[in-house]
Amino acid sequence: MYLLGVKEGCGEGECGACTVLMNGKPVNSCLVLAVEADGTMIRTIEGESKNGKLNPLQESFKKHHATQCGFCTPGVIMSATSLLERNQNPDEEEIKEAIEGNFCRCTGYRQIIDAIAEAATLLESEVKK
Amino acid sequence: MLNSFSYYKPKSEIEIIETLKSFGDDAKILAGGTDLLVYMKQQIAGPKVLVDIKGVPDFSKIDVDSGGNLIIGAAVTCNDVVENQYIRNHFPVLATAAKTIGSYQIRNRATVVGNICNASPAADMAGAFLVLDAVVIIATEKGNREIPIKHFFVGVKKTSLQQNEFVKAIKVPADYKDAEASYLKASRIKGHDLGTCNAAMSRSKNGKIKIAIGSCNITPVLLPDFDSNNIDLANILTTAMNSIKPIDDLRGSKEYRKHLVQVFIKRLLNGKGHSH
Repeated sequence: MYLLGVKEGCGEGECGACTVLMNGKPVNSCLVLAVEADGTMIRTIEGESKNGKLNPLQESFKKHHATQCGFCTPGVIMSATSLLERNQNPDEEEIKEAIEGNFCRCTGYRQIIDAIAEAATLLESEVKK
Repeated sequence: MLNSFSYYKPKSEIEIIETLKSFGDDAKILAGGTDLLVYMKQQIAGPKVLVDIKGVPDFSKIDVDSGGNLIIGAAVTCNDVVENQYIRNHFPVLATAAKTIGSYQIRNRATVVGNICNASPAADMAGAFLVLDAVVIIATEKGNREIPIKHFFVGVKKTSLQQNEFVKAIKVPADYKDAEASYLKASRIKGHDLGTCNAAMSRSKNGKIKIAIGSCNITPVLLPDFDSNNIDLANILTTAMNSIKPIDDLRGSKEYRKHLVQVFIKRLLNGKGHSH
């Protein structure tokens, strides 16, 4: 399938680089056997842009320079996607909690939090329209 | 890398037992996999057969039985417990403890029963279940047997489970519905570390105080009951110190752990534990 977005970092469920949504919930894919995923809906970073166009969350990551080296980004975005799907108006603590399982070894969490917060505001105003 | 293994996903309790009987010690139960798959990758465990219990629909349920007891199935995840409104309303300490396990992603896979069966001295659910006087429901060849959770832990990562048995659910007695209970945990980093130590407390309607301590002995420790109408703090602290044997490790020294346990017990007795 040549889908290379999901990254294996630690391979032990610590770093979150391999985060995918399994039936809508973020999981560490390194700790899910392929056979266990049989019959489930798996969403990866590849499903987030449409027709070559980034979605608002991805645009926000770009604007805030939240990708940095980029290795953790596919996982962080899937965790953030899940957060914004269950909570349209997260506060900073809720954002931090949602990405607690995603290591960024560039350690630029500020930009990531800002990007998620702005995407939430954008999405909320879109819903109001 | 994982060694090769066979994978079975039985659809019933009986099939699980039959599979366990066929493969004996070569078989391991797979629930959330957040501990087992790590051990397999690290070559600490090398089961030839994995028996996935998630194929039995009842095991994913959180139920209340006819006696009002809470029943949590073996495939119920930590986040299922955190998000369950009935548990949050009536047994909130279980949600509090479950929320401290791993990260959000881990809690979407890790099961509360798995946390117990892994039998780590640091198991977050152990303390909460111990102070709620929970009962482990074990499926065996001859039907179910139930044992109080205080008799379930027998050593580091060792339980009283016998061959061809597995835990199908955990039961919290109705007596503890709406009882005051709380949980405190110290860890170096949230989301990525086991606890340095933890403590849980409950105050039952019939005037008993139960206190459990984690990461301070080879198993989670339940202290003898205390009388909530006549609290003797000095006695409680002495009993606690006599019941634990903490070690020095990378998460903290034994002196630090002893200190934390005393601080936690005072906070819990003063109603300063976390709850939802």
